[in-house]
Amino acid sequence: MSVSDTISTVSIASSTPVAVWSQIDSSRAKIALSGIVNVYSLGGVWTQMCSAQNAWLAQISPANIKTATLTFDASQVTSLDGAGIAFLIGIEEVQQKAGAQFHLVGLGSRYEPLLNEFDPISHLFPVPVVKPKQSFTVSTGIAAQNIIDDARGLITFTGHLAADLVWSIRHIKQVRWGDFVNAAVEAGVAALPIVGLVAFLIGVILSFQAAIGMEQFGATSFVGPLAALGIVREMGPLITAILLAGRSSAAFAAEIGTMTVNSEVDALVSGGLSPIRFLVVPRVLAGILVAPILTLFADIVSIFASMLTMLIYGIPFINFYNGMLSAIDVEDILSGLIKATLFGVVVSAMGCLRGMQTGTGAAAVGISATRAVVSSIVMIVLVDGIFAFISYKTGF
Amino acid sequence: MNTPVTTSKSSYAIDVQNLTVGYGSNVLMKDLNFTVNNGEIFVILGGSGCGKSSLLKNLFGLYQPLSGDVLIEGQNITAAQGADRQKIMTSFGVMYQQGALFGSMNLLDNVTLFMQEYTQLTQDQMNLLARCKLDLVGLLPYEAYMPSEISGGMQKRAAIARAMALDPKILFLDEPSAGLDPITSADLDQTIMDLSKNLGITFVIVSHELASIYAIADKVIMLDKAAQGIIAEGDPKVLRDTSTDPRVHQFFNRITTKDAA
Repeated sequence: MSVSDTISTVSIASSTPVAVWSQIDSSRAKIALSGIVNVYSLGGVWTQMCSAQNAWLAQISPANIKTATLTFDASQVTSLDGAGIAFLIGIEEVQQKAGAQFHLVGLGSRYEPLLNEFDPISHLFPVPVVKPKQSFTVSTGIAAQNIIDDARGLITFTGHLAADLVWSIRHIKQVRWGDFVNAAVEAGVAALPIVGLVAFLIGVILSFQAAIGMEQFGATSFVGPLAALGIVREMGPLITAILLAGRSSAAFAAEIGTMTVNSEVDALVSGGLSPIRFLVVPRVLAGILVAPILTLFADIVSIFASMLTMLIYGIPFINFYNGMLSAIDVEDILSGLIKATLFGVVVSAMGCLRGMQTGTGAAAVGISATRAVVSSIVMIVLVDGIFAFISYKTGF
Repeated sequence: MNTPVTTSKSSYAIDVQNLTVGYGSNVLMKDLNFTVNNGEIFVILGGSGCGKSSLLKNLFGLYQPLSGDVLIEGQNITAAQGADRQKIMTSFGVMYQQGALFGSMNLLDNVTLFMQEYTQLTQDQMNLLARCKLDLVGLLPYEAYMPSEISGGMQKRAAIARAMALDPKILFLDEPSAGLDPITSADLDQTIMDLSKNLGITFVIVSHELASIYAIADKVIMLDKAAQGIIAEGDPKVLRDTSTDPRVHQFFNRITTKDAA
């Protein structure tokens, strides 16, 4: 073996190793490798040698394949890294698969232990497992099962949450008020600017749209009462709830999701603490507190925006105000606020639920946050629909 | 212990000059000077919280040191910018304490990721290379698993395989054998020694495992929080048997703080 025992300390990507393919006779071929062989320089060489090898093996008749011998001469190799070893193994495997012979000569003795690590090389080439395709029936069944499981999870969670909320009322001192305040500040105070902005714009848009239609009948003076009623009963709570879903529900899901990934939730459970009481209750209470307050704020900003808009149509503040008072009463405002409170519960609870259902890994937290927003909005629409039906039946 | 190694550009794999490590005004280590030879297995020791991992992150350029220079194969990583810095970065591999595998990829993809960026190999060739790396750390049967589906010790080993993906000349390992069973740990030590001896790879390892340190380390440095620097340097067995420094003696002989006092 004439390999110099020196190892270059600098990986020189530019100095490509030279591999020469030569065919000795019909059943014997040789690869002579020389130079510095590393992962950066091997790309083209490997592919070239492999295609030459395949072409050579293809033209040998099956009867003679057993005697076909490829000699790999590594005596001129200056240095070899793990990729070089993999190259040797790759070439050997092609020979083995074809049933032909492979001879390695001149490899430096210090590489042999590494090459031996991978013996037998066949285990580096696992047979690819083909996943059986699911039939339509099976996949439909699994999808249905998932929906049922999800519904069951939601019902169980609702039950736990209700029980723990009742427990919290009875043990008011044991509620984690620090977490509650943090969540309330984050979901409430920090949300004021965005709620104000959206509410203002919705107020303007609503009034303009209504005014364009009403103007044709000379009824612009009715826009005020109409917009105010719409805002107080529907738009105010809805704007707030959707913004809460986007901001706080996602935040709760990500926060609790990260805790789940880090086994913090497991630590609570193994410590005998209910994660729902510990993590969910303070956040849901915060949702219950901030949703109606934000809604009231949104109502006021939105109605003010509507007033400003109607000024353009020549309706003074006082007329708008009187018209509004004749159209809405305390019941309408209360109805909106009660609805907002329900939205608050739904949005914060969905955020927490999705957070607790987080799988493992960083991607799972992102999925949970997305699911939290989607299910919050679905639940908001659902609750709104039920509420509309109830108020139609009862007149509240 | 190792094959003699020729040097072309710098006589040291890593040359640390007047390095001060810390965060803002919080100085952890002051004026460190040490060198790591090519092909050496170099172990950084010290009590918990003394700044071993921070020092390691300064060595491979993840954090900028407060002052001083780190030369990797003669090139100053502290001063290098842009493409130069990236080039130095590809000359070594890093295994983080928690593994830091990419959670959205299976183990094979974790290992091939850097190859896809830096080499011209085909996907099949990269897969074979990655399988070799996974085989070295005993994880070949798990190539299709996601990081979240394997245990913490396996994640660490997979992280070592990923660090070796581009066959770097230097490997930085942050507590590779912590949390591994004795057999796996011994296998890992053997792999490290084989790679060092046969491929001339330089290892810089942060470790607490005394058994493993005696088995593999050519040279150790011991850091101390109070001294804010190196309190011992040399062969671990020699330090254990001959050091007169009570702190070093206590560490190598596992004496409790109460008994030492």
